[in-house]
Amino acid sequence: MTTLRKLTLDWWAVIAAITAAILVRFNVLPHIPW
Amino acid sequence: MSQTIAIPRDMDLPALPRLLALLPGIALLAALGFLGKLTEQSIARYAKAHHLALPNIEYVLWAIVFGLIVSNTIGVPALFQAGVATYEFWLKAGIVLLGVRFLLGDILKLGGVSLALVAVELAVSIALMTALGRWLKLSPKLTSLLAIGSSICGVSAIIAAKGAIEADDEDASYAIAAILALGAFSLFAFPAIGHALGLSDHAFGLWAGLAVDNTAEATAAGALYSDAAAKFAVLAKTARNATIGFVVLGCAVYWARKSHRQAVQNKAAFLWQKFPKFVLGFLLISLLATLGAFTKPQIADLANLSRWAFLLTFAGVASRPTFANYASRACTRSQWAPLGSSPSRGSPWR
Repeated sequence: MTTLRKLTLDWWAVIAAITAAILVRFNVLPHIPW
Repeated sequence: MSQTIAIPRDMDLPALPRLLALLPGIALLAALGFLGKLTEQSIARYAKAHHLALPNIEYVLWAIVFGLIVSNTIGVPALFQAGVATYEFWLKAGIVLLGVRFLLGDILKLGGVSLALVAVELAVSIALMTALGRWLKLSPKLTSLLAIGSSICGVSAIIAAKGAIEADDEDASYAIAAILALGAFSLFAFPAIGHALGLSDHAFGLWAGLAVDNTAEATAAGALYSDAAAKFAVLAKTARNATIGFVVLGCAVYWARKSHRQAVQNKAAFLWQKFPKFVLGFLLISLLATLGAFTKPQIADLANLSRWAFLLTFAGVASRPTFANYASRACTRSQWAPLGSSPSRGSPWR
């Protein structure tokens, strides 16, 4: 928990984006329209 | 670059309630951004149905306009403020995801060109801002903060440099005000100038990425011009952001020598601490795309996800404290400084 609290905004953005990429890669996230 | 994620002021709350407290503001950003997207589509449909040749005004401008209307009329209620402040998170997540639209070879090629231009831009803007600071008789540390803010990446660079050169809060808040006021101006002026000059998407994107100070405004200015221009603006701005550690380190060493105090001990650790980590995420996603980790539809999905993240960003940029506030703060400082005095010590950004 302490380590998570120490993470900066940049790291959270990277984690969120890479998680999203993994979910898309393995078809967990459905088609994302624009 | 090392700001922590925006969360409500009450740090004693457990993690889940803190995250829940972000939801109203994020919902507001989504609503403003989506309204912008709907407005763009509605105007296009109306023009098509009535055979009118209306200019295509991008959702970016509508999202910004709606955000400005909210923040300058009813204001952003306290309930929404924590969530609205997450716009920088969406910006950085959007940039990382945008990496999927670049092949690593293109990044190295375009990034190399951008870095060469960044070197020129750094030298010119630091020299110009230093000369202006002397002419306006601003304090040397305020001048340094303005030079760093205008040459690299706006607010993040000023915050990073403030601690490194031991500038006071008042100087930092005025430097931030000036940079944001310039950013607000550039956001609307750059696309207009670009269209007037007939710049290509590539040329405009590079120009916006190199000259607009804040990352959010640079991305928005690029997106206002065209989707392709936004891509180049993000790449040029990311190359510029990557130099933040070197410039702040240079300033820290200069000010340490000038004030006879101990310079930065571990320069490598300092550079790593100041390095914008989202650049690494951007490169990683681009590497994965280059290696064929994603299919074409998946690349399109991730690029769309990046657009949604930017949609929240653009609504959030305009929902910050009023642009008029920034401008008046920046002007107040400039008017007082030549008299060798300073305005009120109070600052809402402390």
